[in-house]
Amino acid sequence: MSVIAPNFKLSEFIKSILDNAFWILLILALIGIPAVQVILFYIEMPVINGELLTPFLALTWIADPSRTLPIIKAFMTTDLFRIAAFPGFGFAALLAAGTIFVERKMLAKLQLRVGPFYCGKIEGILQLMGDGLKLISKEIIIPAKADKPIFWAAPVLFVATAAAFVALIPVAPGWVVADLDVGLLAVFAIIGFFPIITILSAWAANSKFPFIGGIRALFQMVSFEIPLILSLLGAVILTGTLNLSEIAASQSSFPWIIFLPIGAIVFFVTMLAELERIPFDLPEAESEIVAGWLTELSGMMYGLVQLGTYLKLYAFAALFVVIFLGGFNGPMLWPPFPEEIITEGIELGPVTAQIPGLPVFSQEVLNGILMFVLKTVGVIFFILLPRGVFPRIRVDLLLDLGWKKLIGLAFVNIFIALGLLYAGILGPGGII
Amino acid sequence: MHTFLYKKVGFKAELVGELAGNYSTVVLMFGFAVAAMAPALVISRMLSPRKRSNPVKFLPMECGQVPTGEGRTQFMMQYYAYILMFVVFDVVAIFLYAWGSTILYLPKEATLPIIAFLGIIFAAMAFALSQSDRRKIW
Repeated sequence: MSVIAPNFKLSEFIKSILDNAFWILLILALIGIPAVQVILFYIEMPVINGELLTPFLALTWIADPSRTLPIIKAFMTTDLFRIAAFPGFGFAALLAAGTIFVERKMLAKLQLRVGPFYCGKIEGILQLMGDGLKLISKEIIIPAKADKPIFWAAPVLFVATAAAFVALIPVAPGWVVADLDVGLLAVFAIIGFFPIITILSAWAANSKFPFIGGIRALFQMVSFEIPLILSLLGAVILTGTLNLSEIAASQSSFPWIIFLPIGAIVFFVTMLAELERIPFDLPEAESEIVAGWLTELSGMMYGLVQLGTYLKLYAFAALFVVIFLGGFNGPMLWPPFPEEIITEGIELGPVTAQIPGLPVFSQEVLNGILMFVLKTVGVIFFILLPRGVFPRIRVDLLLDLGWKKLIGLAFVNIFIALGLLYAGILGPGGII
Repeated sequence: MHTFLYKKVGFKAELVGELAGNYSTVVLMFGFAVAAMAPALVISRMLSPRKRSNPVKFLPMECGQVPTGEGRTQFMMQYYAYILMFVVFDVVAIFLYAWGSTILYLPKEATLPIIAFLGIIFAAMAFALSQSDRRKIW
């Protein structure tokens, strides 16, 4: 058994900690606090309870929960909260992490294995954290002949592009990072960046397996982009808008999958191909080209690409939910808040802390989030399922499927939408 | 909403660009992800061991064989026909969205030319696909 630190001395350990604490305090006092003051000088502080919030008031209000709550509510309306936490990065990354764990567990059950088991006592629930620690402590090896700046930047750009995709997804009524009037076209624009980043990473690696895998990824993503774009046209014809929030809101009585099942199937298949998931995992075919365009990525770079892949998976599943499954619409499952919580607050045991206006989200928003998450998790389940069931598709069958069958079916879907519109069944003045 | 896009000139706040303002959150999200994820690489570089003693480690991965030749080789993918079709039909598919998003406000006769247009696309695509199957010409 190897010794981790043979020359360990407790006194030097304590000295190093004290040293670090001293330097952190010094740097914070000399640079940090003035910097915070300078930044706060330029930020517009919110007006709460008729008082302009200053940094000093914010600090004193921490002690009083009833005065802290308005600050939290004011913070939740800012763009920063939306981008970093709720409909944006944090929420998506949480769902992506859950997806990775569920995928490993579910695949193991499908193939009569156990899957992650020991890490974290309960069914290996901490496996992901362990993997993260492992990845972050691994050496990053870059091939000597690689184009280093591009090779370093590609994983970060991949995650960032996936995050920009997530920004367009409406999670609940009014809860979307970027509410664009041409949201669907923006989605196509962002999807168009993925092949570019893939081929940049593959080309920069200067190695044969990533090169072949990158070219495969480029061609596959490119050829499935046309059925992807055409399959969503039916829903746009019936709603007459490109705004994703409006498309989701238009399905309050029925989801479009009832009338456009062919479009939904085409979109689902193209989604699998764009995500490079089995049966369309030719760009990452392990048994043929090691790991495809991910071959030379090591350590945390691989981890970032995986995070980006699962963010992209979440975003695609959410897009399917928004366009075909009704988004945040659904039966009201969330129980209404008791009246006294809203007006008087709750009493917490012996320590009485009455906090009026506690629910930071309204009942409708919470129900919207619940319906959205339930549907998205369902779609993610169906995206994961083929991995345990299907073999890899042959390349000529891939081309045949993408260019002949799916495009033909997408045109059929457009004509179904037109027929429904002109037969007077849907649309303004329609039967339904 | 996006205060940095509004230039305060005189007494009246002037709007620089409404559409650009809507898109700013997408760009901010992109920037946030870069700012949140780039430190992961930096921390990893700081934590992980870096041993440069063995130059074999930095060769391209070729399953244990000694790598030969350049990493960026030329090889035939026979995909040129599909790329040409993609360039044409991707643009056409986006054009269809301009029609699809306004169809509720158009008269019904306006659909006929689009049907003809769809027919032309479909015929052209079928012809291109039948040509792309004849691999000898590529």
